[in-house]
Amino acid sequence: MSKLKLSGVSKAYGATLALRRGDLEVEAGEVHVLIGSNGSGKSTLCKIAAGSVRPDAGEITLDGRPVHISGPQGARALGIGIFYQELSLAAHRTVEENICLTNLPLKAGLFIDRQALSARAARYIALFDGVAGDGFAADATVGDLRADQRQLVEIMKALATEAPILIFDEPTSALDSAQVERFFDILRGLKAEGRAMVFISHRMDEIFSIGDRVTVIRDGETVATSRIADTDQATVIGQMVGEPPARAAQAAPAASAAEEAAGEPVLSVRGLTGPGYSDISFEVRRGEIVGFGGLHGQGQSSVLRAIFGAHPVSAGEVTLKGERLDARSPRAAILHGAAYVSGDRSRDGIIQGRPIIENLTPIHYLRQRLVLARPAALREKARPAVEALHTRFAGYSHPINSLSGGNQQKIVIARWLIDRPDVLLLDDPTKGVDLSAKNDLFSLIRKLAAEGLGIVLYSSEDAELLANADRILVFNGGQVTRELAGDERTRFNLYRAAYEAA
Amino acid sequence: MAGAARTSSGGFRRWMERYPFLPALLILAVLLALNGFYQPRSVSLVGITGLVKTYLALMLLAVAQTYVVYAGDIDLSVGAIVSLVNCVIVVLMQYMGGTAFSALGAIGVGLAVGLACGLVNGLLVATFRLQAIVATFATSIFFTGIALYILPVAGLPAPAAFWRTYGGRFLDIPFVFYVAVVLAVILWAMARTRLVMRLLAVGDDAQRAFQSGLPVTAIRVRGYVMTGLFSALAAFCVTGDTASGDPLVGGKMTLYSVAAVVLGGTALSGGYGTVVGSVFGALIIGLINSLVYFVGTPSEWQNLVQGLAILIALMAGVVVGRRARA
Repeated sequence: MSKLKLSGVSKAYGATLALRRGDLEVEAGEVHVLIGSNGSGKSTLCKIAAGSVRPDAGEITLDGRPVHISGPQGARALGIGIFYQELSLAAHRTVEENICLTNLPLKAGLFIDRQALSARAARYIALFDGVAGDGFAADATVGDLRADQRQLVEIMKALATEAPILIFDEPTSALDSAQVERFFDILRGLKAEGRAMVFISHRMDEIFSIGDRVTVIRDGETVATSRIADTDQATVIGQMVGEPPARAAQAAPAASAAEEAAGEPVLSVRGLTGPGYSDISFEVRRGEIVGFGGLHGQGQSSVLRAIFGAHPVSAGEVTLKGERLDARSPRAAILHGAAYVSGDRSRDGIIQGRPIIENLTPIHYLRQRLVLARPAALREKARPAVEALHTRFAGYSHPINSLSGGNQQKIVIARWLIDRPDVLLLDDPTKGVDLSAKNDLFSLIRKLAAEGLGIVLYSSEDAELLANADRILVFNGGQVTRELAGDERTRFNLYRAAYEAA
Repeated sequence: MAGAARTSSGGFRRWMERYPFLPALLILAVLLALNGFYQPRSVSLVGITGLVKTYLALMLLAVAQTYVVYAGDIDLSVGAIVSLVNCVIVVLMQYMGGTAFSALGAIGVGLAVGLACGLVNGLLVATFRLQAIVATFATSIFFTGIALYILPVAGLPAPAAFWRTYGGRFLDIPFVFYVAVVLAVILWAMARTRLVMRLLAVGDDAQRAFQSGLPVTAIRVRGYVMTGLFSALAAFCVTGDTASGDPLVGGKMTLYSVAAVVLGGTALSGGYGTVVGSVFGALIIGLINSLVYFVGTPSEWQNLVQGLAILIALMAGVVVGRRARA
C-alpha cells in the first residue's frame, strides 16, 4: 500500500525546465532516498509534494486517492511536513518560536500560549540533547546560531508538524557526524512508528546506512527506483551520471604525486590564536594541498577566515610569500594574493539576484583597481576560468540565482581564477554540491596545485580530504591535535584523531 | 574565563535583541533631563500632561505604523487616515447635535472608517501585490480627497463635550493618563497575540513564512487593518487636542510616524522591533520639538535645529545599538 505517489509531475520556470517528469512513490514505514546531481530536480519534486511549488502537470495521490495540494498550508493539512534545504526559519525569532511557528498554540483563540509553546518545543529540542553544541537554547535567537544548529532547528520544526509523511531535503549537509547519528536514530524511530520519509543527501555512506529504497533522478527525470539492499554505490552513481558503473566509479587519482614536487613555502602560520582556535601553526608549500579535518566546528573555518582577515586574531602571525600578511580585512588579504571560498554560498559567496558576470568579476575589479570596464572585455577575461570548471549557464547576464547550487559555487571559484592568487583557502567548498560538480571542482583544485598554488582545504567529508589532501591537520577543540601525512592518511586514523578528547 | 566573558557579552546582546528600544529609552532620558535643565516646569505634572496630550496622537500613529513595518511593509497613508477620521467624526458629531451619545457613536464610526482604510491598503498591497510605498502614497491622496469632500474648509469646531473630556481631569488625574494606561494594556496584550508573531515572521522572510505554511497574504492584510484602526485612535486624540476638524491635519504626521518607528529601534526591513520603542520614538520627537523651543532658538532656525536633533538622535541610537551588538 503506497502512501504518497507523485506521477509524471513537471515544472518549468519560463524557458528553464526544472522538472521534466518526476515520479516518486513513498510507502509508510520506509526511508526513501532521493538522489541526483544538483539541478536535477530533486528539490522541485519535494517542493511540489510540500505544496510550495505548483506543478504544471502530473498527478499526486495519497493512499490511492488523487489529491490537489493547494499550498504549504494545504500540504500540512494532508499530513505532509518538509525540511527545506534553504531552511524556512525566521532569523529574529527564537528557537522555540520557530519550531512551533506553523501551528502556534493559542489561549482564548487570540494570544500565544507561551507555556504550551515552550513545552511543545522542548520535546523536540530534547531529541538533540547533547549534540546541539554551545549556545543552543530554546530562547536563543535563530540568527545567532551556527549553520549546523540552524539546520537542527529546521529538523525540529519539520518533526514538530508530526506529519505522517516527512520530506527531508538535504538535512545533514551542515551537521557533524554525532548530529547525523542522532538524526538517523530519530528517523529509525519514526520508521518504526510507520511514518513515510523522503531523504535527500549527497553523502553516499549516509544513504546506504539509513535508506530502504533509493530513487535516482537525472536531468529532471526519474531514472530508477531500487531497494538499497539490491544495489550498490557504483550502480547508483552510474544511474546518476548516466554512464555504466565501471567508468563512473573510478576513484580519484592519488594525490601524493604533488608531495615530492612541492616547492618553497608560500603561506606560513605561526601561533595563530583567536576566538575559537588557539596556537595554530602550519606551513603550505607551493603545489601542496593541506587538509583540515576533524569534527564539524572545531575551529577549522575560524582559522581560514582569520587568515583571510574575516575573523578576529589575538596573537600569532601569518606570512604570505615571505611577507607579513596579518590581514585586518578580506580586502587586504585579497590584494596580497589570498583567496577564500566558503561553503556557505548565500552568506559569503554569491551576490544575490545579480547577473553572473557581476558575480564573476568583483575580485578582478579589486585586484586591478578597475573603475570602469567594458562588459565584453570582462567576459573575455572570465571565459577561461568559467570554461575550466565546466560551468553550464545560459548567459552572462542571467541572474546568479538561476543556477543550481553546484554551478553557483563554480562561479564563485571562477572569480578567483581571473587573477591568479598565491594561496587558496577552501572552507568546506562542496557543501550541497552534487557529485559530478564535486569531481570537476577537485580535479580543478589539483590542477591549480600542480600549477604552483598553495591550497588549504577544509572539508566536512572525510573522503574528500583523504582523496585530495597531501597532509591532513586534524582539529579538535580549536587546536591541531594530529598531523597525518603519507600512509597515515587513512579513514581509521582520521576518525580516531577527530574523536580523541582534546 | 574566556567562556564567561563571552556569556556576559552574549547576555547584553540578548538584552538588545529582546528590548531593541533600549537606546531609545536612553535618548529619551537624556532629552528629558535637557528639557528639565532649560525649563524646569516642563518636567512637572502640568508639563508632562501637556506633552502627552499633544503627542499621544503621534505615539498612536507610530504604533499604527509599527504593525505594518513588522511585516516589512510600510503605510504612507496613516496621516491621511487621521485627517479622514478627524473630518468624519467632527462632521458626524455636529450633525448629531454634539451630545455625549453622538461622541460615542462618532468614535464607533471613526473606528470603522479606519478599519476600512486599512483594509483597502491591505488588499492593494498584499492581495494585488502593488508596491507598498507607492500604493499607500496613492491611497493617502485618495483618503485626503474624501476628507476634503466631507469637510472642504478647516475649522469646524468639535463639540465641547469631546475636547473637554480629552483635556480634562477625572478624579484629579488628567484624562490622557487614563488613555495612556489603557493604551499600555492594549499594547501589552497585542504583543502576545499570534498576529504579531506571524507579522514578524513574515517580515523576517515572506517566502520562508509562506513555505512554513503561514497565510502570508491574510497576515499582511491584517497588519494593514491594525494600522488603520490605530490611525483612527490617533485621529480621536488629534480631535481632542485641536478641538476642530481639518482635512489636512494628519498629512505631515505620516513621516514623523516612520521616523518614530525607526528611532524606537524597529527595523524597516521587518521582522524585528517593538511597539514600545515606537512610543518612545514619538516622545523623542516631541521632546526634541519642545527642547528646541525652550532653548530659545529663533523661529527661522527652528526647523533646521529640529532636523539636526532628529539626525543626532538617530545616530546615537545606531551607535548604542552597535556597541551592544559588538
